[in-house]
Amino acid sequence: MSDPRGSDVTLYSIQRREPVDRVVMSVTVNGTRHRMAARPYDVLLDLLRERIGLTGTKRGCDMGTCGCCTVILEGRPVLSCLTLALQADGARVTTIEGIAQAQTGGQLHPVQQAFADTGASQCGFCTPGFVMTAVSLIEQNPDPTEAQIREAISGNMCRCTGYLSIIEAITRAARVLRERGARSPEPAPTSGGAS
Amino acid sequence: MSVVGKPAPLVDARAKVTGSGVYTDDIKLPGMLVGKILRSPLPHARILSIDTSRAEALPGVRAVVTGRESTVRFGVLPVSRDETAMAVERVIYIGDCVAGVAADEEEIALEAVRLIDVRYEPLKPILTIDDALEKTSTPIHDKTLDGTNIQKAVDQNFGDVDAAFASSAFVEKHEFRFAAVTHAFTEPHCVIAHHDHDGRLTVWSATQVPHYLHRALSEVLSMPMHRIRVIRPMVGGAFGGKSDPFPHEMIAALLSIRTKRPVKILFDREEVFITNHGRHPTRTLMAMGVSREGLITGLDLKSLIDGGAWGSFGVVTTYYNGVLCMGPYRVDNFRYSGRRVYTNKPPSGAMRGHGAVNSRFAMEVLVDILAEDAGIDPIDFRLRNLLPPMTKTINEFRITSNGTREGLEAVRGASGWNDLHGKLPYGEGIGVACGFYISGSALPIHWTKTPQSTVHIKIDSDGGITVHSLAAEIGQGSDTMLAQCVAEPLGVGLDRIRVFSSDSDTAPIDLGSYSSRVTFMAGNAALRAAEEIRKELVAAASVLTGQPAAGFVLLDEKLVYAPSPDITVSFMDALQEAIKDKGALVARGCYAAAPPMGGKFKGAAAGLSPSYTFQAYVARVGVDPETGFVTVRKMWAAHDCGRALNPLAVVGQIQGCVHMGLGQALTEDFRYNRGNILDANLLDYRTLTPRQMPPVEVFMIETNDPEGPFGAKEAGEGPILPVAPAVANAIYDAVGVRLKELPMTPDRILTALQDGRGGPGARPSRESSRREGKRAPRRPATVGS
Amino acid sequence: MILPAFRLHRPTSIDEALIVAASCDNDFDYVGGGTDLLPNYKNRLNPRRNVIALWRVPDLHAMNGGSLGAMMRLVELERDPDVQRRWPGLIEAVEQVATPLVRQQATLGGNLLVETRCYYFNQSHDWRASKGYCMKADGDVCLVVPQKEVCYAVYSGDAAAVLLALDATFTIHGFEGEREVRARDFFQPDGIRRNVLRRGDILTSVRLPPEAESYRAGYLKLRLRDSYDFPDAGVAAAVKLDGGIVEDLQVVVNAVSMTPLIYSDITGPARGERLTPALIQDLAAAIAARIQPVRNVMFPPQYRKRMVGVLARRLLTRLTLPAR
Repeated sequence: MSDPRGSDVTLYSIQRREPVDRVVMSVTVNGTRHRMAARPYDVLLDLLRERIGLTGTKRGCDMGTCGCCTVILEGRPVLSCLTLALQADGARVTTIEGIAQAQTGGQLHPVQQAFADTGASQCGFCTPGFVMTAVSLIEQNPDPTEAQIREAISGNMCRCTGYLSIIEAITRAARVLRERGARSPEPAPTSGGAS
Repeated sequence: MSVVGKPAPLVDARAKVTGSGVYTDDIKLPGMLVGKILRSPLPHARILSIDTSRAEALPGVRAVVTGRESTVRFGVLPVSRDETAMAVERVIYIGDCVAGVAADEEEIALEAVRLIDVRYEPLKPILTIDDALEKTSTPIHDKTLDGTNIQKAVDQNFGDVDAAFASSAFVEKHEFRFAAVTHAFTEPHCVIAHHDHDGRLTVWSATQVPHYLHRALSEVLSMPMHRIRVIRPMVGGAFGGKSDPFPHEMIAALLSIRTKRPVKILFDREEVFITNHGRHPTRTLMAMGVSREGLITGLDLKSLIDGGAWGSFGVVTTYYNGVLCMGPYRVDNFRYSGRRVYTNKPPSGAMRGHGAVNSRFAMEVLVDILAEDAGIDPIDFRLRNLLPPMTKTINEFRITSNGTREGLEAVRGASGWNDLHGKLPYGEGIGVACGFYISGSALPIHWTKTPQSTVHIKIDSDGGITVHSLAAEIGQGSDTMLAQCVAEPLGVGLDRIRVFSSDSDTAPIDLGSYSSRVTFMAGNAALRAAEEIRKELVAAASVLTGQPAAGFVLLDEKLVYAPSPDITVSFMDALQEAIKDKGALVARGCYAAAPPMGGKFKGAAAGLSPSYTFQAYVARVGVDPETGFVTVRKMWAAHDCGRALNPLAVVGQIQGCVHMGLGQALTEDFRYNRGNILDANLLDYRTLTPRQMPPVEVFMIETNDPEGPFGAKEAGEGPILPVAPAVANAIYDAVGVRLKELPMTPDRILTALQDGRGGPGARPSRESSRREGKRAPRRPATVGS
Repeated sequence: MILPAFRLHRPTSIDEALIVAASCDNDFDYVGGGTDLLPNYKNRLNPRRNVIALWRVPDLHAMNGGSLGAMMRLVELERDPDVQRRWPGLIEAVEQVATPLVRQQATLGGNLLVETRCYYFNQSHDWRASKGYCMKADGDVCLVVPQKEVCYAVYSGDAAAVLLALDATFTIHGFEGEREVRARDFFQPDGIRRNVLRRGDILTSVRLPPEAESYRAGYLKLRLRDSYDFPDAGVAAAVKLDGGIVEDLQVVVNAVSMTPLIYSDITGPARGERLTPALIQDLAAAIAARIQPVRNVMFPPQYRKRMVGVLARRLLTRLTLPAR
């Protein structure tokens, strides 16, 4: 490409340089161990979507702003578009596909159920990210106030709902989980790496 | 009613909350190539040469296409086909598509794009409305007016505005400015095209108008429509931003035709912003007169809208900026002059509340100003001026159901308006605004005999009901609405119903999800198809019971003989009887066209709708007079949706509209720096955060529209209209400044306050706000005089 | 959006990191949380061929007395009861960084070293190419203030302002060993050079002096939204009072220049005085008068300047209120 200003300067290549070796890594995603060779500059989002085939995690902005790519890495919600794949080397990752055995018609996780019931998912594209953030919030704070919920989700963008039904869904899910926990204490799903 | 009117989780909610729903980028096909687009670095330039040889020589590159490949013009409106797949002779905005590359891997495609050598001769860019109004030797497109860059001029005149103003007690004239705003949906555009070895083309795309995409592909590729299949996977939000056939869809198809392999083009976020088609940057000059009795005498409106590089829906937008001011108030004298210009910037287009939002802001602020002039409470003033239901406007809109009055009363009561307006301490305020919107454009874009919406239903002996439609589910809940419209007359639950709305090969045509038409038109089509099935089931029940068919009602999976309710036939028994000897029940229903309506004058069709929706909102705000920061404390939102088929979805649409409307009001600003978008990412393009989102108390006003399905009207767009003006009027109540430019950012509010326009004394009179006619009449004025 | 190709190194000690760095031919970046570096890399803003990740260096994650490891994640700081108790002013700044999700990954060191920002810099490669590039990446002129000498990109970290006010010290490990630099001497008024770090240097920890705990400190941030946004201005203050009389007062303004700016000369004379509303107003006005922002972030310069005065006054007023 010529310099748009009209001079003869040729812009340097912005992508391909000398080839970079792949690095063998292992990662446990939703309880299943994967071993693969990753490029050092692959991000976790690419690994999940393109290599492992878990497309529930969404690519919204690729710049860490929209939160659609949120997954849980070693118990913490992270932006998988800004997490290098090798950062997950040897680690446990939970994605939207792994928080409940819902893919085959089983029970939804209470957060998922509440999102469906309250209309907190319209187009659904931001939903996986929100669900992961919400699951992680409730694990850390089982009885969040509305203000705490608003704060916790203010790194996930939704353009459909105006957030109100999402706040309602998280409130509702936290209550369900508290009631359930009062009956039968179970290990939290993400810290154990759901299987 | 057993299904309609009950909150129903979306039928695809489970797919969405589990991440198993398939969006376009989730699709991976064998042999799929990665497509990338070379975009123009200049806002306006002649292409001198394009050399693709270095790119083509790069290992892994499978095809390179340029503008010469396809010079057929397309565009969503037949009157403004001004786009090509890629630039042919000139590039006309930064980001204009110049070439497309398909390669084995993303890295290779990116590198190949860099290796394409393009030589440009820069031309003077037209970047502002004022520049576009000037005569030029090189207009951006061929068909402009008078050698300028004006694409469309609309001039309408009803009654005698000048005479009306001359006899008015008060006339106010103000200029308003509106920044561009954009949809900012979360899912970037994505398309996959696959031209297979049978010569058939399949295109998966994130679109809200699969049918228009289908038509445009056919025209651009000179391929019959029946050789093309358009599939709309799940769409991650659209709001009007995916309602045009796009160049990238053509480019993917061209690349696939060349390679015979599937080609996917996924946009990065900057490309989403470049593709834009958001709300037009607008300058509005509006004058309105009021009689001593507080009745609106006339409206004089001039709009200049910045269309960017292409026509898109802009001809419609130009009309809508005027004619959608014809409600909810009675206006007997109306003059409108609208101009849409081309500029060398990414195209403007349709966005939620298309064409109505900016003019509505001006109108509602002006109504507030005039109410104060006349010494009348703003809600009383609005009530006094309302159009009644079942009437006709001066420009011959047929108004049927109209719930504005009920809406205004609802928000007045709930917000405590009477105790608060004009009475809150400095820095706190309350404001009101109304809205008016179409519930489906009465006339289709193309003059064909095709019905606007057709729905097919099939039921076989398994008892599953499949509903086929091309109405695009984009998150608004149209699949659920279709399921409800079918379930209700058949007396079955939603779990029996599966909606297939994504595939042009199996679905009958629906024009798509734009102009708030789907509930009204596709809903009616579905209802009519279900009624056909219902007849067959009732006939079967009649055969099985020996009772007359007319006596059966369907509910709870049974056909009950009403005169003697212990005579029942189960849904499944009736079904087996009905399919005996003839096979699966199939039926179709359609919404062919709206009833005849409208005037005979030029442009009379613009804004016609089989029904209209009405809104009335109150906003409560706090303004920090030292910083200019606005906190919206609460919104009371009344929307006349005719009938809430799915209250969960209606409330969701209204809350979403409040969020988007508040963004335009307070934070969102799609800025340019000499043709470059300054805020082409979600960090700098500022949508409202969860913590800034106020509680919204929703009032669904059910006026039971005579022609809507079960009385329903739209709920997806109209509810955005009153948001920004209600906030602006509340800001005035709080600190005494009238903001006439959006967004109302803190620095602008502070500037207005510093200019001495605001302050505690400048607010609506605290003592005598109910006294009428306290001010001296103002000199009449007209727009542009 | 694919990252530019780089080699990734994952050393497990500071020494190993330095050895790796020495072998990278000056073509490397360190990465902590990556929330700043990776978006910039995606925009092709000065990407390097080698990235040295500091995730696996345990020393950098530790909190030790008054010393905070540079790799402590912001969310860890926010939730640490000890940090909350000892330096609530620091927490107030940290809590306002970006979004809760970003703070899960972002580190203290990363926030201190956050790349300076400018509308002409934080753009994609294509965008910058169409503008002709600026001196901070690929070009040789400033597009904000057309000249070739200095880059005006804005220092946009939040934590640093409070650390300057509390007179923290940064520990740096480099090829020549370990050294300490006062936070107040760390930043350099040049949007490209940014600070005193030399190639290879690792900012390893932040040490707060024991006296810092006897200060009341806070941070107010100007941004359009209450999440996401970088500061368009920020004011930190730390005040030590004795019976209402000022023993020491420091005010730091950030995000209006290439560095955080400390105004000891303005606040110094307040020693021995009572912080009356009138004095606070005078101090705030004097500080705001010094600010000379340029037009390279969202809010216009005049507004930012004015808001510095408002924020400074509000913060000082709050800090002088009787303890709750």
